[in-house]
Amino acid sequence: MKHRILALAIAACCATLALPARADDATLKAEMDALRAEVAALKAEVEQMRAASAAPVATSKPAPAVNAEPVPALAATTAPAGGGVDSGYALGANTTLWGYGQLDYNRPTARPADARADLTRAVLGFNHVFDESTRVYGELEWEHAIASADDAGESEVEQLYIEHALAPNYGVRAGLMLVPIGLLNEHHEPTQFYGVERNFVEQAIIPSTWREGGVAGYGNTDSGFQWDIGLVTSPDLGKWDPTSPDGRESPLGAIHQELQLSKAHDLSLWARLNWLGVPGLNVGGAVFAGKIGQDTSKQFEGDANFPADNARLLLGETHVRWQSGPWDLTALYTRGTISDTQDLNLGFLGQPTPVPKAFWGGYAQAAWKALAWNQSSLVPFLRFEAFNTGAAYATQPQGFGTPALPTQRVWTAGVNYYLNPNVVFKFDYQDFRYDDELLNYGNRFDLGIGFQF
Amino acid sequence: MQKTITTTLLLAALAACAPVLADEAASSAVAALGERIFHDTSLSSSGKMACSTCHDPASAHAQTNDLAVQLGGPDLATPGFRAVPSLRYMNLNLPFFFANDGTPTGGFTHDGGAKDLVEQAHTPLLAAHEMDNVNAAGFTARLGRAAYAAAFRAVFGTDVFADPERALLAAEYALSEYQNTSREFRPFDSKFDLFLQRKIMLSAQELRGMVLFNRPDKGNCASCHTSTRQADGQPPVFTDYTYDNLGVPRNPDIPANADPAYFDMGLCGPFRTDLSARTDLCGQFKVPTLRNVATRHVFFHNGVFHDLKTAIEFYVQRDTNPSRWYPLDANGRVHKFDDIPALMTRNVNTTEAPYNRKPGQAPALSDAEIDDVVAFLKTLTDGYDPITNSADPARSARDVKRGDE
Ligand code: HEC
Ligand code: HEC
Repeated sequence: MKHRILALAIAACCATLALPARADDATLKAEMDALRAEVAALKAEVEQMRAASAAPVATSKPAPAVNAEPVPALAATTAPAGGGVDSGYALGANTTLWGYGQLDYNRPTARPADARADLTRAVLGFNHVFDESTRVYGELEWEHAIASADDAGESEVEQLYIEHALAPNYGVRAGLMLVPIGLLNEHHEPTQFYGVERNFVEQAIIPSTWREGGVAGYGNTDSGFQWDIGLVTSPDLGKWDPTSPDGRESPLGAIHQELQLSKAHDLSLWARLNWLGVPGLNVGGAVFAGKIGQDTSKQFEGDANFPADNARLLLGETHVRWQSGPWDLTALYTRGTISDTQDLNLGFLGQPTPVPKAFWGGYAQAAWKALAWNQSSLVPFLRFEAFNTGAAYATQPQGFGTPALPTQRVWTAGVNYYLNPNVVFKFDYQDFRYDDELLNYGNRFDLGIGFQF
Repeated sequence: MQKTITTTLLLAALAACAPVLADEAASSAVAALGERIFHDTSLSSSGKMACSTCHDPASAHAQTNDLAVQLGGPDLATPGFRAVPSLRYMNLNLPFFFANDGTPTGGFTHDGGAKDLVEQAHTPLLAAHEMDNVNAAGFTARLGRAAYAAAFRAVFGTDVFADPERALLAAEYALSEYQNTSREFRPFDSKFDLFLQRKIMLSAQELRGMVLFNRPDKGNCASCHTSTRQADGQPPVFTDYTYDNLGVPRNPDIPANADPAYFDMGLCGPFRTDLSARTDLCGQFKVPTLRNVATRHVFFHNGVFHDLKTAIEFYVQRDTNPSRWYPLDANGRVHKFDDIPALMTRNVNTTEAPYNRKPGQAPALSDAEIDDVVAFLKTLTDGYDPITNSADPARSARDVKRGDE
């Protein structure tokens, strides 16, 4: 824990966090540049360490399943979201079945009565190869064990897309795809992240799991760049419910449509650029931008246009992850803005959850593979997160403005115990700066079980 | 169930013998008949009472006087049991049901006992304290003499009056078509609507009232009187069509209340009978729309209050100053919730703001804040005219008519 590198990483990450709290869109790029510079410094610092240890941290990528069939090389370079083609169980020559599961226990220290045990997710996925260059990839999920009209669970299709390689290193996809933003959204299996729960920043600011329907291009270059670009469905601001805490928990989580009869008048673009040129390093960023008013107009006689028809969403994200020897160091920052919310919020005056103009979050995380034996390993980690889902609101008539929400800060300390790279038991403690009963935020212990195949 | 099936069969039969019903012109012919019936006083035993007598378009389709209950029957002397609700912004497609979490929702009348507008029309047409036609034969005899009887036959079949049950059902259907289709019943032309459409701005006091109305820690009114759009984009109607027990004081002006053993307990009876075993629901009444509430002459199901400000004062002072609202019992103690049998007073909602307080605590809204809320509620009156900054539900009813022509 006291290792110099770790301290440095956290300091660097915190610096990037403090800076952007007051940033606006234009500074995002500047922040990215700054981050790059810091990464360069970091890189120099860890150079010796890298030489010292060769084995990557257990979570970097699950080991291929023993009986996996050889799969065409097309997607090997850009690992698909989810389980990936290099894991799973072969169901014949062209089809692989894969899956993962997550079971959690949360116990708030101040409100033991709110302790919950949950089968958070059970997921089955498939990858079916049609020919050398074309495949279909799908992920089906059940949340909270039982899904029916009377139960809390959900049953959902998380991804379902066709991928067609135009060349060994680039291609196109069409269908329901995970938004390539942040580190967690595409790699959300419990073996892939530290702590029982997914980090807050990549749930509250970048919703998890965020997917949209449309077409996308992907590829990578010999120099180590990985790129993605997409034209996809947008969230629907008309879904905003100012009476519910959902929008305070995750502004975009409250309005994304998940291709469920999605209103598709307005579309969005995504773009991502990562540099993976040095083994173990992932530095890059992504943006998601588009209109989200969806032209919800004149549905009722005498009714006017939706007051936020011109609203635009801009979400930017930048990250660096450095996996080397026993170390796995991560920093991520993301910030979103929604324009033209003034009129909409005017109609919500006094309601608990108006639409924010700006929201942001960032975290720094250090994990250290302390012990490894046979297939097993023990990885303690420490994460600091700061995020604000209502950092600013559009102005209102004098005296009726909405003050910004306080910034939530969470420290998470815990350990991932990998029985083998695909089966993990987790324990952590989370310390929140302030309690929020509605959002279930309050200091707590968590226990978790996760696996993937 | 039996009744539902019969109704459905009869409606199907009606539709079959009048195939023209299928198209829109026919439906508007039916609605036009419904409108005439709605205003026709000759369809009552007194010859002086129509639906519009109690549901006057100029009063946002509610009562025009400040009686707690209206007088009907042959000489307009038989008292009813409840205050007259406005017929505007009723939820048309929501028969009574229990939501997933057990919340009673939907249905027509104060207790949701009527499944739809066809079923609902049955009561006023026949009931002794209303139009008093007693039965289908009595009603059909009067309808057959109406000036529009020929038009009625043209739409529903030349022999329609030969079968009184069928004629009554046809009339109820016509009434429901009228209420379902005429924009008179949902003009969405209040000052608040123009504000939502960004055509005008509310005054500072009205905005303050809106904030107090919505804020969960102040009025918390919006938690039942929904002030945001429906999921389908429909402008807010200021009710979620659920039921609640506010513990409103007993109203001695209702003649039935002279009997100390009589209690109108809403969902669990006595008018509605299917939920009488659900004693936990006793005392619950439907959340009414607050659109046009400033034009009302009486408030709550028993019409106990006559002024909007008093109604809101009741909300916030019910638990902080109970002696203002309830009589003293034999021991000189305040008899809170005196319009519910003693054993059922625990059904009263005492957990949600604004009535989650104790005597001596400050009410959730101050006097000035109540004035702000009243100012806001006044923006919900239909027929707003920006030039005079005044609203009149009669105006919107007229304008809609003109628009329809
Ligand atoms: C004597 C006065 C009176 C007359 C006449 C009258 N009503 Fe009513 N109406 C009432 C009262 C009182 C209620 C509330 C009844 C209850 O809750 O049990 C009511 C309720 C209703 C409702 C339910 C509204 C809601 O919000 O659920 C409808 C619809 C309605 N009336 C339509 C009509 C029609 C159609 C006619 C003519 C056939 C009519 N009324 C005649 C007094 C009257
Ligand atoms: C918990 C749900 C609930 C809340 C909160 C609530 N109401 Fe109501 N409101 C009702 C119900 C139910 C009725 C009908 C009660 C009855 O008829 O006995 C009603 C009736 C009324 C009426 C009478 C309307 C009429 O047509 O007679 C007014 C006025 C009113 N509410 C205003 C308010 C205001 C202002 C607030 C906030 C201070 C508020 N309500 C908060 C449930 C609620």
